Amino acid sequence: MKSKKMWLSLMLVLVVAIMSACGSSGDGTSSSSNNAENTATTDDGQPKDGGSIIIAVQDDPKVMNPIYAGDRVTLTIDQSLYAPLFNVNDGKKTYVLAESDSFSDDHLTYTLKLKDGLKWHDGQPLTADDIVFTMDSILDEKQHSSSRSQYVFDGKPVKVTKVDDLTVEFKLPEVSAAFEGALVSFSPIPKHIFEGEADIEKSDKNNNPIGSGPFKFKEYRPGEYVTLERFDDYFAGKAHLDSVTYRVAKDPNAANLALQNGEIQMRMVDTQDYNKLNDTGKFNMLTYPEGRLQYMVFNLNVPSMQKKEVRQAIAYALDKNELITASYSSADFAEPAPSILTPDTLYQTNDVEKYDYNVEKAKQLLADAGVSNLKLRLAYTNTNKPQTSQALYIQQKLKDVGIEVELLPMDGTAYGNRTLDMNNTDFELSFGGYIMGYEPDAYKSLFLSDAAYNYSHYKNADFDKLWNEAAVQIDETKRGDLYKQIQQTVANEMTVYPIAYTKAVVAVDNTYGGVEDANPKPVVMLEDLSKIYKK
Amino acid sequence: MNNYIVRRIAQAIPLLFVISIVSFTLIKLAPGDPVLSFVTPNMGAEDVERIRQNLGLDQPMYVQYFVWLKNVLSGDLGYSLVNHRPVAEMIIERLPATFGLMGASLLLSLLISIPLSMIAGSRQNSLFDRGLSLISYIGISIPSFWFGMMLIYFFAVELHWLPSMGMRTVGMDSAWDIIKHGILPCTVLTFMNVSVYMRYIRSNTISQLEEDYVQIQYAYGATKGTVLLRHVLKNVLLPVITILGMSLPELIAGAFITESVFSWPGMGSLGISAVHGLDYPIIMGITMMSSVLLVVGNLVADILYGVVDPRIKTTG
Repeated sequence: MKSKKMWLSLMLVLVVAIMSACGSSGDGTSSSSNNAENTATTDDGQPKDGGSIIIAVQDDPKVMNPIYAGDRVTLTIDQSLYAPLFNVNDGKKTYVLAESDSFSDDHLTYTLKLKDGLKWHDGQPLTADDIVFTMDSILDEKQHSSSRSQYVFDGKPVKVTKVDDLTVEFKLPEVSAAFEGALVSFSPIPKHIFEGEADIEKSDKNNNPIGSGPFKFKEYRPGEYVTLERFDDYFAGKAHLDSVTYRVAKDPNAANLALQNGEIQMRMVDTQDYNKLNDTGKFNMLTYPEGRLQYMVFNLNVPSMQKKEVRQAIAYALDKNELITASYSSADFAEPAPSILTPDTLYQTNDVEKYDYNVEKAKQLLADAGVSNLKLRLAYTNTNKPQTSQALYIQQKLKDVGIEVELLPMDGTAYGNRTLDMNNTDFELSFGGYIMGYEPDAYKSLFLSDAAYNYSHYKNADFDKLWNEAAVQIDETKRGDLYKQIQQTVANEMTVYPIAYTKAVVAVDNTYGGVEDANPKPVVMLEDLSKIYKK
Repeated sequence: MNNYIVRRIAQAIPLLFVISIVSFTLIKLAPGDPVLSFVTPNMGAEDVERIRQNLGLDQPMYVQYFVWLKNVLSGDLGYSLVNHRPVAEMIIERLPATFGLMGASLLLSLLISIPLSMIAGSRQNSLFDRGLSLISYIGISIPSFWFGMMLIYFFAVELHWLPSMGMRTVGMDSAWDIIKHGILPCTVLTFMNVSVYMRYIRSNTISQLEEDYVQIQYAYGATKGTVLLRHVLKNVLLPVITILGMSLPELIAGAFITESVFSWPGMGSLGISAVHGLDYPIIMGITMMSSVLLVVGNLVADILYGVVDPRIKTTG
């Protein structure tokens, strides 16, 4: 008898514990009116100096050196450690290290002038030598930089020469409208530190990085955190905060708890957790477009997908708004995407075929194509919640037009491998997402006939020609027109079905101001942490 | 004795060799490609190919294995594919955190489980015994990450007694601060271990109490407490040593999960990241280190066995 009672009370305790822990998972529909980019404006307009912020990152940084950074964590930390030449936001250029830049009339010479009096974190001057050294290191095949191919045109690398201490000349082997876009991700590294290193990637000097950004390196404890402190000689004005710490928080649920607990003051959160955190009233929830397209792609390696009418029929059979509500819980976190280019990309247009939901038209197209009893396989990443919801929705919707869909959830790496296999015929449909930046030429690697990431395996010489012409077209009107044709081609051919331009949500503790000035940015959360201050 | 140790070590070498081949094969058979974990679409296909070559990933599997083996035999565990730092250095800097956590929880587990389970065993089917059994069943059944989350929720978020993650407050470097951060992860590991140990020790106590020597002690008028402390304890400790040797792998596995939940900067966290990035030099480094640890752990257990119970010969 006694033991029965104990069982019962223990079970009760467990149940209560489970309920209290899980009861607040915000999965409902979002109706919060204070989303979007509104910051608390309770400060008196005078940013205070001092204080620090702890930002959660999900892993340790890799090599803290901008010529190698490719992952989110390292790019985020490098953002404060290394200054770029310039930033581009919504097509507008703001100079950072650079003072001006210009192309020669024939567009083969690009001249870049640096600001005067720039300094590295160790007090050494930052000059044209550093720019030349960095570019040479990127181009040096022995240094394995991941961005080398961005500066190689038609097999020939760009040539960099120093004109004087503040001026650098880049000689292009051929006209390229995309060159300037590539330079957005260029941050110089110090020549006086790395000169003579046989393998910069493995150099010990990366463990004590010397940069030129608003914060300088202080301490890295592997598995724990990276701390940066204010760089007082920063040319664009000292930062307000004394220090910034990037803390490794591996488990997303535990990280959200630490955020509520005040151990972390800023974190990129999943949209599913938006309400839960917003309801605490403790956070400024920055919701901004992350320059990402989430899409479904048709695999033309499989014969059944080679008929354009079938692909179009599938597009008509889906209601994009419903699809988004089903997967992102609200249109607040994802807007319906008409084009393959994201809105922050130059020459993006919504003037393309949108395939508004139309079951009759879908059935008609299938009948015209002479297709019936179609069976398709849809592959997606099993850990991705939105993709899972979308897969179920698509399965149900395509049933209405007589198409049977088999779902193939896979683990991330297996999925990545299959999609990269040029001859893959394991599935007809799959999901994907990309963040490519503002330069439309970068998208080439996803669409050219022989591109490594051409997941649709659509091959069309005329289409390739459009991309290649647009890459070298300097006349902006003509270039815009070419990209419009490209976007319309993909929409008309329906090789990729754009689903949504997704948004990122960053929760910042209410006690910090200057968040808007810091400029929310895809991938790295905030562009300029020097603008953040403790209220 | 010395001969025995030498022979045991000699036996361990082919075992470690087999472990290395099996692990290497398994990692290589795992779907995915280490290069893909740091590829961005902005990188051209030729960049990817160059990086692959630079890391030696374009070689056939057996070639990669022999290159790895050759380096290991010359004392070089290689470089991480992702961080490009020496593997040995990356593992060594994580050891104190893992050993500290594992050591503390091991010690606590023994201090808690031995007395409790001996009392439980000596009072079979009492309320105390059943209560402990229930708790140990719960401990074996609940997933450790969930238990960790619960602890964080109550003790860090609701009560604000303890920090929820990491090993230190940023910029602080005091022993007390580290201990405070360690309490919750240590509780999780200890609870899991105690649940396992208790069942063994309890059943062992019960069987010892039925032995003749115990009955003789009672006949001499010894109290239960004296019997337990003076005679049974020694014989119960013996299997505990074996259990310890056997439960090392579980300890290591538990540390992996618990370290991830609490962002504890040990080998477990490093291992999880390495698995995600298919960083085989790191995975191999951790696997081989754990294997050596196991072999040594079991060897020490066997030797201790001989020390505790001279009847067991470790000679010849």
